Amino acid sequence: MDIPRKLPKITIDHEKCMVPFLCKKCLEICPQAVFWVVCIKEERLKEMDPRVPGLYKLSAPRRDKCTVCNKCIEVCPVDAIKIEAP
Amino acid sequence: MCWLCDQFGDMEYGNGVWYLNPWNYARNMYKIREPGKVFAVREAGPEVVTEAGLTPPGLINAIEKSREEYDRIIEENKERIRLRRQGNQVLPLKDAEKVLELCSPMGLMECMCRKGVRAIDERNEHEYTCMGMGVGMLKWERWPERYKGGVKFVNVDEAKEWTREMDKRGFVHILMLFGAPYIGGFCQCDYPDCGAIRLAVDFGFGTLKSHYVAMVDYDKCNGCGICAQRCQWGALKFEVTSEKANIDLFKCYGCGLCETSCPRGAIELVERKSLPALAEVW
Repeated sequence: MDIPRKLPKITIDHEKCMVPFLCKKCLEICPQAVFWVVCIKEERLKEMDPRVPGLYKLSAPRRDKCTVCNKCIEVCPVDAIKIEAP
Repeated sequence: MCWLCDQFGDMEYGNGVWYLNPWNYARNMYKIREPGKVFAVREAGPEVVTEAGLTPPGLINAIEKSREEYDRIIEENKERIRLRRQGNQVLPLKDAEKVLELCSPMGLMECMCRKGVRAIDERNEHEYTCMGMGVGMLKWERWPERYKGGVKFVNVDEAKEWTREMDKRGFVHILMLFGAPYIGGFCQCDYPDCGAIRLAVDFGFGTLKSHYVAMVDYDKCNGCGICAQRCQWGALKFEVTSEKANIDLFKCYGCGLCETSCPRGAIELVERKSLPALAEVW
């Protein structure tokens, strides 16, 4: 693929997306596996509960693979994902 | 020669192949770090490997900047992997089974990559698709979030059976180093969910190819196409003209998934070093 090239910009509103590990709709539907979810408050000797808001954070590290098909936007129940086409 | 064999191989033991050298399993590897550097817990954690595997710092942004910047970051990361001795290597099933005989302890666990990329929550031994290796595993209870659902320690026979099952399902076996020769994980990878395989396929670094390449015996191949579904590297395709499988040996990572799936035994793994033009293709 050509380099340099413009990439889509993906913004996730973390005020709206609070339980991504529980919801996981965008993670499952993305054909290009652009997203990544990780526990941001890992504690020693404790397993974190995905139902607790804010413990897990969704990001889109592989936006280079995003085709702007917008399937994640359609499936998001809280309207937290915005994609700016390149 | 692959740089891991160069540094950790022994001609007397394991024929120069680093992961078949029993000394690499016998030492107290967990304590061996770069001289003068403090061991950081998070550095050894699988999530760091996978996060970095998914997005080496600056690499994605570099795609928007320039070819030079992109190439520079890839070179920088290759160098970083060598310095931290964090390389991974693909193993075909037959070599993986030899490793399982050498390494202890071994514990089945959830896959960090699938957890991150697809939010898959593997809760028990029937679901685990990753194996943690080495003494670091004995401390798993301190980090229940990292090992959601716990760990199932297995003996050699159970480990082999599990690995064969993973092979049947179509996962690539990758031996993962958390600072060579300390082996931290025996990953069962699948594009695109897995960090190690994705870095290799998308950017061409991070995971070393295996010591083998897969070659098709055109007399035996009947063009059934079963193997073509298994290649994760874009190396094997069904060649319409000859109606047989065709493998680009420069793209082949030598994982052997095509070999283990061929009902006619038409695919053979041959040693990489036996092919002069491939001997330095890692």
